[in-house]
Amino acid sequence: MKIHEFTGKKLLREYGINIPQSQLIIDKIPEKRLIPSVAKSQVLVGGRMKAGGVLFIKKEDEYTNTINELQNKEIKGELPYGILVEELINIKKEYYISILIDREDRDIKWVFSYDGGIEIESSENIIKGTYNEVFLKAPRKIKEIMPNLYNLFIEKDLTLLEINPIVETQDDEIYALDCVMHVDDNAIYRQKWSQRFLEKTDYNFHYVELEGDIGVIGCGAGIVMATMDTVSNYGLKPANFLDIGGGADKETTLKALNLLKDKGIKNIVMNIFGGITQCDIIAQSIVEFEKKNEDMKLFIRLTGTNEEKGNEILSENNLKNYEDMDTMIKALKGYLRELEI
Amino acid sequence: MINGKERVCVQGITGKYGQFHTKKMKEYGTNIVCGVSKNDLIDEVYDIPVLKTMKEAVEKYNTDTSIIFIPAKNVKSAVLEAIESGIKKIIIITEHVPVHDMLIIKSKADENKVLIIGPNCPGIILPERSKIGIMPEKAFKKGDIAIISKSGTLMYEIADYLSNNSTGISIGIGLGGDMIIGTGLKEAFDYIIENKIKKVIIIGEVGGSEEIKGIRYALENNYDGKIKAFFAGRTAPKGKTMGHAGAIIEGYEGSIEYKEKVLSDLNIKVCKSIKDLIS
Repeated sequence: MKIHEFTGKKLLREYGINIPQSQLIIDKIPEKRLIPSVAKSQVLVGGRMKAGGVLFIKKEDEYTNTINELQNKEIKGELPYGILVEELINIKKEYYISILIDREDRDIKWVFSYDGGIEIESSENIIKGTYNEVFLKAPRKIKEIMPNLYNLFIEKDLTLLEINPIVETQDDEIYALDCVMHVDDNAIYRQKWSQRFLEKTDYNFHYVELEGDIGVIGCGAGIVMATMDTVSNYGLKPANFLDIGGGADKETTLKALNLLKDKGIKNIVMNIFGGITQCDIIAQSIVEFEKKNEDMKLFIRLTGTNEEKGNEILSENNLKNYEDMDTMIKALKGYLRELEI
Repeated sequence: MINGKERVCVQGITGKYGQFHTKKMKEYGTNIVCGVSKNDLIDEVYDIPVLKTMKEAVEKYNTDTSIIFIPAKNVKSAVLEAIESGIKKIIIITEHVPVHDMLIIKSKADENKVLIIGPNCPGIILPERSKIGIMPEKAFKKGDIAIISKSGTLMYEIADYLSNNSTGISIGIGLGGDMIIGTGLKEAFDYIIENKIKKVIIIGEVGGSEEIKGIRYALENNYDGKIKAFFAGRTAPKGKTMGHAGAIIEGYEGSIEYKEKVLSDLNIKVCKSIKDLIS
């Protein structure tokens, strides 16, 4: 889960890293004002600066307008959680530092650069390595805060901590001016502070909306993605990714089907290879849904645990169970072609 | 990896999934010698003795392998207990294990030369001989092809297709798709090379570049068998997580187009559809 800059900065301060004096404006603009300052849109997307999400306030009369402007501006499709207004810091030198999980080496890695700023990817002054490797080459002031950053990364279950820029001021102090933080989704249960930012959904499956019009449901991320790909191999466009997960019950399955219906989808492919998932339960859900939604067309492939019972339920209700994914999607393609004629 | 002769302990044997899969594994022929559970009201599950600690499991039943069906928040302590007791192979089925817990598990396992498969994986199967995992066995007909997969259900889908339309499967290894997994593609290839398996199918996903590194590693180690790859997620949008922590595109190098290009330069066939895997 991505964490907003203002929350990340609070944590940095708890771990002894300096951050600018600031105010977070959620709706009402407060009487007390920080001027001159920088106002930053609290969105979770990258490239905020380039997209106009960071504005400077030099004079009193710019204050309200600037904040209003940011409050109503979408940054890459996202409206801000709030606006963070910060005092301006006298920068002597900008650096970049981050800590991340390296999948391949299965270890924690550090990245440090003597050039901070927005074009960090193309900098040639980057050091990437273990704590010790980066520690050897970092400036003394950065070395001093590395243990704090490391503790923060471990204790808060972070998978990414990026400070860009981290700066040295005219008074030789180190300040974090921005902060990108990701918390491990699987550790949120023990990171109570992060729980209030969890997106609230009334369903317990993975759903991602896409641009097409063919609904896709499956159990397991891999099989759903492969089904989406096959839909697209046949020249059709998937409307979504929807993984009901292992062991889905009747309620979950019905919720998934109803969600797609509410999105205005007319044709759905459902690809279930039951390991933990029981085919008869899925079949019952499908039948129940079909009865109430005759205008929708379901293409079903149901195999695995309790497959015989599932098959029976489907055929009693005149629903076809396709033998594999490809045949199912081919049939959908044929059906759509017939509609065109 | 596995040879079918493991003496297996089920950690979390009294739970719903633990019990269900213990029965399935036992029926399949897996040598399950005992189980461990914190539930002290149950002494036996399907005639298999239930113990309190891994130490007992090793001392009394000479267990060398464990399979984990324990809630995510207790996986770290369960695995560390198994390692301390001297277990040499651990298969973690549980999903949602925190990344930092896995980093600790991985480093302890390396120190003690313990093989970890998973987490969030379907396990390992030697068709018609033994399975230490949860895969639907009917999808795995015995044959000569090794399947190495980051995705559980997609492994079933492809194994089923191969079982019905090809020479069948010699081993199915479900690595899991999490950010930190115990055994990666390189280690899996060590097994393939050692056991002289000549046909391998790699099932990967959008994101990361482990598949490329693993296959390169195999070729550098003079693997001379046939490798084919299949990737799921061609239609996945950039920057969105598709269920797994692993299935996310991180720039061009995580895209399937990139993987396909690099692999075809290495003369490895990347199949766009499952049917192409057997042509």
